[in-house]
Amino acid sequence: MAEDTFLADDLLRQLMSVGEVDLLVGISSHNAADTISHAVHAIEQSFQQHFVRQRVVIVNVGGGDKDEDGVVATRLGNLAENNVGLPGMTSLRTMHRVTANFSGPPSAGIALRTILAAADLLQARACAVVSPATSNLTPDSIANLLRPVYREKFDFVAPLYTRHKYQGLLARNLLYPMSRAVFGCGIRELNSDEWGFSGRLAALCLNQDVWHEEAIRARPEAWMLISAISSNFRCCQTFLGEKSQAMKGPGTDIVEILRQTVGTLFWCLETQQAFWLDCERSQPVPTFGPARELTSEPTDLDRHRIFEMFRSGVTELEPILSSILDPETHSEIKSIVSLEEGKFRFKSDLWVRTLYDFAASYHHAVINRDHLVQALAPLYRGMTYSFLVEHSDSSPAEMEAASERLCVEFELQKPYLRERWKAKVEVKS
Amino acid sequence: MRQTILQGLEQVYSNLVRMIAEFLPRFLVMLIIIVIGLLVAFVLKYILRALLGLTKLDRVSEEAGASRVLRMAHLPSMTELLCRSIFWVTWFGFILVGLSVLGVAGLQEQISRLFRFLPEVFVAILILFLGAVIATFLSRAALLAAVNAGHPSAKILSWSIRFVIWILAISMTLEELGLARQTVISAFSIIFGASMLGLAIAFGLGGQDLARKCLERYLGDAKKEKDKEPQPL
Repeated sequence: MAEDTFLADDLLRQLMSVGEVDLLVGISSHNAADTISHAVHAIEQSFQQHFVRQRVVIVNVGGGDKDEDGVVATRLGNLAENNVGLPGMTSLRTMHRVTANFSGPPSAGIALRTILAAADLLQARACAVVSPATSNLTPDSIANLLRPVYREKFDFVAPLYTRHKYQGLLARNLLYPMSRAVFGCGIRELNSDEWGFSGRLAALCLNQDVWHEEAIRARPEAWMLISAISSNFRCCQTFLGEKSQAMKGPGTDIVEILRQTVGTLFWCLETQQAFWLDCERSQPVPTFGPARELTSEPTDLDRHRIFEMFRSGVTELEPILSSILDPETHSEIKSIVSLEEGKFRFKSDLWVRTLYDFAASYHHAVINRDHLVQALAPLYRGMTYSFLVEHSDSSPAEMEAASERLCVEFELQKPYLRERWKAKVEVKS
Repeated sequence: MRQTILQGLEQVYSNLVRMIAEFLPRFLVMLIIIVIGLLVAFVLKYILRALLGLTKLDRVSEEAGASRVLRMAHLPSMTELLCRSIFWVTWFGFILVGLSVLGVAGLQEQISRLFRFLPEVFVAILILFLGAVIATFLSRAALLAAVNAGHPSAKILSWSIRFVIWILAISMTLEELGLARQTVISAFSIIFGASMLGLAIAFGLGGQDLARKCLERYLGDAKKEKDKEPQPL
């Protein structure tokens, strides 16, 4: 078994004492000593309120730092004591808690691998991963992730959120439409801090030889979803409530987020090309709860700065963009850069071609792949500016219609991606 | 007197015949060595091409930015370049060995000097090539980082990095070849020192605002600017 090579003896001893379980929730307490107690409390409440008869376990993957682990262990112990005998919470089974240390430098990828190995050894039927950084984690939201797997036999459960209409623009304008067109599965949140999965998907992912890859080090969830889609596992999405701002993480550091999300998506295109090159149409995904909700409170966005960063970025990076983009696409981008701020629009067909050029160039490795993903940042800013201007007064319904049109554009231009993907690299001097 | 002339001519003729008789086999050996060298060079070239094809060197070279440098210099791909190099090095080696068989006075010494100099030439070429690759990679990384951080002088920063690395690589190359060592070291010290001093003065006097902005960005005001962009996820 794959896990034999990296699970510590202490963790194996803990897992063997647990036996088999029905439900497993994994959490990583690395750099989260302050927030872990809230998350564990929510998980325990979820088990006690919604899964009274099931055998359950919480797997916490710690950072290996003695001070931090000591704090986490103390908090977990206090929680366990406090929860005994709470009125209305009468779990009929022992609620196990397992703590593991990272087998390498702490990362989300290694934490997930440990959780998958634990799920595999414990023969867990339904699992979920949650983040202690999520401020509004509730017992219901954890149950919503576990229930479709445990009761409805789904293999992957992605979350859906209520969010501000200007939040999640990378997901709305790039990750969702592109992954839907390419992999044929309309999951809205490719990257999230919490998701659910089945034991058999855990076993499939655990046995893949990808754990050394940089692409899944920081955000492995998109890879897990795409692995499920390409293996014809059943996927669904479920409503979790309001999207919280992560207390830690890259925030709005666009370059780091592009590396973690778009870099992983492009890497998945590379590794799953046998699947998606023959994939024709996207299929609707079963959704539990409201499809998607948008709010529109006033925001303090500096549109002018976003546009200026797009304009200067495209100008300064011209030699790099010329080696990535098709000449026609590049000349169109150069022509819109020269437009006045008020007249500027990044049309959806140009945006789609730009992304497909980037994906194909990533495949052909025309420049260093990390540099290639970084070069997308100014163009993303251009698209963001165009979106903010276009939808300043749009209603949620209008925004959803625009999002759907963009998805259709991605699907219409998929032959262009195939063509560029299969083409030989042009030698440009 | 006539007899003496005839004897002299006979002597010259017999010497010439003896020399030709001694030279011809050596010349034939040289030709054989050169032809064998040509065949060996071809075989090595095709073996290396197959091996490099298996290791996907061209892709690695593309990712590292080395192929782009080669294209800019109108050179073939990395695999082709290495294959051609191995071909010419092998054949050239055989040609020199063949020439040494001729036993021409003075040539032997020149050839051995050339052989002694060859490793230094190869190391110098390698240094220059690595310098080109590192300069391209780091200058591009700096350009991307500066542009995405909204730095106003991204290109200057990128060019500065490329310039410094090229100067360093060229100095090391000349040092390796042993060409005017003292001059090269002095020139490098002067150019490098002058560049750094120039940058320091330019940044300190001419770029006070820029320095302040940079310090503000790194010491705490970054969040204010970042928050003016929408959350991507």
